[in-house]
Amino acid sequence: MTTQTCRRSGGRRILPNRSRPSSYASTVPLVEPTGPLLTARIAAGDDRALAEAYDLVAGAVHAAARGVLGDTSTAQDVVQDVFVDLWCHPDRYDASLGSLRTYLSVCARRRALDLLRSDLRRAAREERRLRLLPPQREPSPAEQAETHDAATVVHDAVRQLPPEQRQVVELAYFDGLTYREVARATGVSEGTAKSRVRLAFAKLAAVLDHNLLEPS
Amino acid sequence: MSGERPLPAGVRARVLDAAREARTPGAAVPAVERIAATEALRRAADALDALLRSLDEADWGVPVLRDLDVQGLVGHLIGVEHDTLRALGGDPAVGGADHVASTQGDAVRQAGRPPERTRDEWRSLVDVTLVAAGGLRGSGVLLALHGMQLPVDDLLVVRAFELWTHENDIRAALRLPASVPDAPTLALMTRLAVQLLPHGAVRAASLPGPVDLHLVLLGGGGGTWDVPLQPGLGTGASADDVVVVVDAVDFCRLVANRIDAAVLDVHVVGERTATDGVLAAAAALALD
Repeated sequence: MTTQTCRRSGGRRILPNRSRPSSYASTVPLVEPTGPLLTARIAAGDDRALAEAYDLVAGAVHAAARGVLGDTSTAQDVVQDVFVDLWCHPDRYDASLGSLRTYLSVCARRRALDLLRSDLRRAAREERRLRLLPPQREPSPAEQAETHDAATVVHDAVRQLPPEQRQVVELAYFDGLTYREVARATGVSEGTAKSRVRLAFAKLAAVLDHNLLEPS
Repeated sequence: MSGERPLPAGVRARVLDAAREARTPGAAVPAVERIAATEALRRAADALDALLRSLDEADWGVPVLRDLDVQGLVGHLIGVEHDTLRALGGDPAVGGADHVASTQGDAVRQAGRPPERTRDEWRSLVDVTLVAAGGLRGSGVLLALHGMQLPVDDLLVVRAFELWTHENDIRAALRLPASVPDAPTLALMTRLAVQLLPHGAVRAASLPGPVDLHLVLLGGGGGTWDVPLQPGLGTGASADDVVVVVDAVDFCRLVANRIDAAVLDVHVVGERTATDGVLAAAAALALD
């Protein structure tokens, strides 16, 4: 009698079989790589299905992450986060709302924006600390150089923004105003203020060096 | 799609490794409640009992299986329960007994009895089995019954499997909708069926050669297994890779030989003779 062995599959693909020897041509019927079937297989613990999903849509997922974060290692981290989440929570995919490609791309964009916001807030906190909080002790030369570098990168990046975007970023993230307060201060609607911040994020992502920032 | 470009080499392996680290392959999500084999048998008995209690007197005379009507089939189950109790008591005579022939006497003697007496006798015997088996659980004792030799927990799951199968035989005969086991019971049934699959392969002699089976059972109570199958003992040829993806309940219907593999909604990859052989091996596990 054989006991259950859940052997790691190593990501071998079971479809399509173009790489199979010709003797597999008689294979019928094939496992069609549709989103619902792939996620049902993933729910059943079939890691080959995850590998298939990766091969099918990882390019689109990466493109979505790059659209927000640029071509960085963080964009690759987003790809990893998205597929690990799919593996652990396949039931979150609702085929009635769209394809698996669309779902995972949306997940990637959302995750990338979360990371970007987190990084920007962290950078803003650092900047405020530099400006407003006198240090408790004299920082070491290495610390001074590091914080100076971080502040310089953030300031330079913000300075390159168009004036209306620079203004909302400074108010929201350096002065700590809410979107409503930013809108009132700049004489625009709250939606416009949010839109300007989003546009500013995308531009900042292209120039900010994430290596300067602490991990989430 | 525009904007898509190949990811750097190594990202794919890193992503898949991270996923496997986060969740071990094989086990299904969401995880189902783990229940004891006695509980699985109790639930299967409750389901059949509820069905029998809903029947009209005329329903008991409807032909179901072989030469048996509903009452005769419940009589067959009385016979199986008698033999199970003998196995639990260590009687070696039932180890090699035939599942149908050994129970036919109990099936036949139900004719003319009030149906509720047949039902009550069967249910009382199941309850005795539950008590007797409960005392042996975890003992490591192997029980021999109708050509099988199994630990007591596995034998109880086989009994639950049979009760569910015959409950649905009756439902089909009476044109009632089919029932499915709850996920915890189904999980025990699928696990046992997968364990027994190598025996089905030997019994069916249906494989053209050794097979490395990647079996994916979908839905609550399912899971994923890699099972090496041999057409017989001592075969040393290289193995065919076969993938079978099928709904867990349908797989159990196949194992019970209650659905034709030709009409099964199954996804397979592999040599046709090997994939057909795997499905035949599953169907060969049926006791009937």
